[in-house]
Amino acid sequence: MLSLIVFIPLVASLVLLFVDKDNRPLIRMVSLGAAGLSFLLSIGLLLVFDKTNPGMQFECAISWVPLLNIQYHVGVDGISLLLLVLTTFLSGIAILYSMKQEKGFRNFLALMLALEAGTLGVFVALDTILFYAFWELMLVPTYFLIGLWGEGRRVYATTKFVLFTLVGSLLMLVAIVGVTVVHFKATGTLTFDIQTLVHTHIDSASQTWMFLCFFLAFAIKVPVFPFHSWLPHTYVACPIPTLIILTGAMSKTGAYGFLRFCLPMFPEAVAEMGLVIGAAAATGIVYGAWIAVAQKDLKALVAYSSISHLGFITLGIFALNNVGVEGSVLQMVNHGIIAAALFIIVGILEEKTGSRNLNDIRGLGKSMPVLYGMFMLVTLAALGLPGLNGFVGEFLILMGVWTSHLLSDLSTIFVLMAGLAIVFASIYMLYMFQGSMQETTLKDPKDLKDIDRTEFGLLLPACVLIVFIGLFPKPFIDRVSLSVDTLLTVEKTVNVHAGEDKDHH
Amino acid sequence: MFSYAWLILFLPLLGFIGLSWFGDKIPKKQAGYAGCGTVGLSFLVTLSVLSDLLALEPEKRLGHVETLYQWVSSGSFKLDLAILVDPLSVFMFLIVTGVGFLIHVYSLEYMKDDPEYSRFFAYLNLFIFSMLLLVAAADFFFLIVGWAFVGLASYLLIGFWKEKTSAVLAARKAFVMNVIGDVGMVIAALMIYQTFGSISYMEVFSAAPGQFRPNDDTMVMITLLLLVGAFAKSAQIPLHTWLPDAMEGPTPVSALIHAATMVTAGVYLIARCHVLYELAPYTMYFIAGIGAITAVFAGSMGMVQYDIKRVIAYSTMSQLGYMFLAVGIGVFSFGMFHLMTHAFFKALLFLSAGSVIHGLNGEQDIRKMGGLRFSMPVTHITFLVGAVCLAGVPLTSGFFSKEAIIMSSWHSEMGNFVFWGLAVLTAGMTGFYIFRVYFYTFFGQSRSPEVHPHESPIIMAAPLMILAFFALVMGFAAHWVDQFLGPVFGVAVHHYEDAMLETLAVCAGLGGILVAGIVYMTSTDRLEFAKQALAPVYDLLFNKYYVDEIYDFLIVKPVRAIGAFFEQKVEKEGIDLVVDEVGSQVHEVSRGISFWQSGNIRTYALNMVVGMVTILLFVVFF
Repeated sequence: MLSLIVFIPLVASLVLLFVDKDNRPLIRMVSLGAAGLSFLLSIGLLLVFDKTNPGMQFECAISWVPLLNIQYHVGVDGISLLLLVLTTFLSGIAILYSMKQEKGFRNFLALMLALEAGTLGVFVALDTILFYAFWELMLVPTYFLIGLWGEGRRVYATTKFVLFTLVGSLLMLVAIVGVTVVHFKATGTLTFDIQTLVHTHIDSASQTWMFLCFFLAFAIKVPVFPFHSWLPHTYVACPIPTLIILTGAMSKTGAYGFLRFCLPMFPEAVAEMGLVIGAAAATGIVYGAWIAVAQKDLKALVAYSSISHLGFITLGIFALNNVGVEGSVLQMVNHGIIAAALFIIVGILEEKTGSRNLNDIRGLGKSMPVLYGMFMLVTLAALGLPGLNGFVGEFLILMGVWTSHLLSDLSTIFVLMAGLAIVFASIYMLYMFQGSMQETTLKDPKDLKDIDRTEFGLLLPACVLIVFIGLFPKPFIDRVSLSVDTLLTVEKTVNVHAGEDKDHH
Repeated sequence: MFSYAWLILFLPLLGFIGLSWFGDKIPKKQAGYAGCGTVGLSFLVTLSVLSDLLALEPEKRLGHVETLYQWVSSGSFKLDLAILVDPLSVFMFLIVTGVGFLIHVYSLEYMKDDPEYSRFFAYLNLFIFSMLLLVAAADFFFLIVGWAFVGLASYLLIGFWKEKTSAVLAARKAFVMNVIGDVGMVIAALMIYQTFGSISYMEVFSAAPGQFRPNDDTMVMITLLLLVGAFAKSAQIPLHTWLPDAMEGPTPVSALIHAATMVTAGVYLIARCHVLYELAPYTMYFIAGIGAITAVFAGSMGMVQYDIKRVIAYSTMSQLGYMFLAVGIGVFSFGMFHLMTHAFFKALLFLSAGSVIHGLNGEQDIRKMGGLRFSMPVTHITFLVGAVCLAGVPLTSGFFSKEAIIMSSWHSEMGNFVFWGLAVLTAGMTGFYIFRVYFYTFFGQSRSPEVHPHESPIIMAAPLMILAFFALVMGFAAHWVDQFLGPVFGVAVHHYEDAMLETLAVCAGLGGILVAGIVYMTSTDRLEFAKQALAPVYDLLFNKYYVDEIYDFLIVKPVRAIGAFFEQKVEKEGIDLVVDEVGSQVHEVSRGISFWQSGNIRTYALNMVVGMVTILLFVVFF
């Protein structure tokens, strides 16, 4: 079932290449069908998932490269499950949004589906090489989607994005091999299985460089300050449907990497460098928010606000306690929903008015009352209004940071920095909302129509989730808490010096 | 046994949801009735809860926690969605739903020409729900949720006329200021969780006295952080500048949110957390000091404003100062009592002012009013009632509640002559500024003869008369309020008798009225002369002590400048440049391979694919 969810989009993407590129109805059917099916299956998975089981579920392992014992091994725990569903959900919305695409309709959708498959694969892979393959699979479609369908300095942006990410992923590949080698030395068995490798004890010097290699790959993907400089260029150049997946799902692969690899595999390195990483994350929170306050281009504004919100997620993870990590996982879902909705709104505004610059648009609320209401709700969630979903995550993260042992030296300062960013968030989000929707119009409002059914349909699920998670976050947290427990309490049973497996220990 | 108290919250919430979805599909009138109906029913349920509560022994009235469901459970942090029913929350329910209902009814007429009538009632219902959540919450988390939601409702209603730039700006200012307060409260909640391992009132309040000695650093820190929220919401120095601007909203909003209920949330918070505050006497002195200073500060600004609503807004700030003074010196139930009487007479004043504005087709400048006592007799009387209550004329409600505070500010354990002096000075100013408005508005000749003022219809006048009645007589409920709230605060407060001090305070109020009468009822020469003589002081007051300008210079401008610096210098010329530089170095190295620099997207794509395939092949056939 898990494999179906991942491979349906991938197969559909390949099928599309054999479809006549002018046959829009068929293309539409294949792409929507694949994304929809994948989404429904993931919902089914969510329903049958056993939240009392702390381990991996729906596992499937097939030998892939027997020579090196590389396996096609997939499975989900609570964390990957939530992110899996988030990805299929956002991809469905992104594909629905792509239906407006004029130029290169078929290829665009094929690449979008490939991107979805890559992202899904990252969340389910339990073999490091498989993880790496999916990780790279995400990159290729993104490169073309931005390079060919983007806007502005798209080639510069996409090249920058790809180079940045490639540097990170190559380092990661080195570390992947490194971890396996350490395990091999200790046990004599060659394996790339993540669940086996996490129990390997790695000496602290090796931990440091391997951790840094992994960390860099993930920190670039998230991105964590100061590795964020690809983000504004890329987000601004990126077409909106791609951006939905990029910000909503792909940025979470980095944070997921922290959880799946960095925390369980390299505890000593995490303990050593956690404070520095926390400081970088907290700086990013304030930095992104501060720059967002000065933005006039709505896409850039949301891009910088994303840097700030993703900083929250990283900070919560490196609080290294249940509340903080669970808050971070929830916040990944929240940010995915909110940022996607914001970019859809920006796309709608640009399409309707021909501009997304705050100097050119004003007072749209009068002729678009429905969008006004939805935009307001999303704005409030984005600025972290208590009672809506954004705040739940932020509150749990701050609670985690405040009580964190790892960050205890600076936790007060981090929380204050986050508090400052929350104040800034209210400023830039209100600039965005009030600036575009309120006051009197510049243009004749008769030209403007309110959003249609499709656009309403694109935003409605996000709005519902914003309210629901705010009212009742328990089901979401419940599904991840045992998995988080498992991650935070990994025992190192395989010791290199003893040279034997101490499983019975 | 009080689980049905949830109804009090659900009804207005239902009103909000219903009106926002279907509000524009049903006739205007019905939308208005629906909006009033939910709050009216909520008031009736409150009465029923009250009678059930009174049926219990006084000591059994405390701590009824009604849980709806478990909200979250993460690690050791567990939290239920629950409300706390006790005399303090029921006391607040009564004020919020009672005064709220009257203001809803008044709005039926006041807003009748507005095209977004149903949206207005939806927002008002949202406000009532949020305020009820704030006072009903059984823990600090939902307190913060309610706290933020009233801020949201206030934001929506200040900016209700969303096409007016000044309203949009005022709304944003109010929102941002309140977010500052929210952040303070969030950090306080984090500290409370760390200290007590829980954020529910019952556990925190029962653990605190055993765990801490008075003035323990932790207690002082927590109480001060909570205070940031209280000051922001209740417009105390230095977070007060949003309140006068909030008058951009429709007048019923000013009456409901910015006078009777929301702005008193800070006082409620301190009263609710009195256990913590009693463990932090330093914070208490600080509260009393800020309260007393705000009272004088706001009162002085109110003496020179010309916008009728702004004068009353400054008066609200000033009266809130009294309440903070009261809770600061530990006489919590006097603070709550003044909160109640103030809710009646200030709502009355605002609604009467609204009636005047309505009658004059939107005019708010008192210099353009005059002689309205004949054309608007009902409004004249109700405004006068509000004014005498506010000025503390003997036997009105304001007299009893204010006297109690002024007396305690001298005689109570924490009182001293400075607090007392500031309180009495404020009383004098209060008499002056409110009767200045009164004389300007209702006496003399009409100053804009082209306008023909008319008395407001019965649906507006009736709430005025009801409020006027309560404003006059509620003073006699002082004893009952003490007894009712007594169990919450532990000990009953002591009523001090001191004929001389009492006389002095009353004289201050009456003196203020007299001066206003002399200056504004006799020739205008005297007014001009006074203005000339006091020009520097007058300018300072009229410009609100230049606080807005100071904030702009000290905070807003630097924030902008640093933001621009980050974007231009750090981002574009710093990080980005470094990255590009590294990139171009790589290009330099690979210059020999010319197709790398072809700039052709297809070539790049080809490179990518070739690279990818190579890597994959490498991986697979290692």
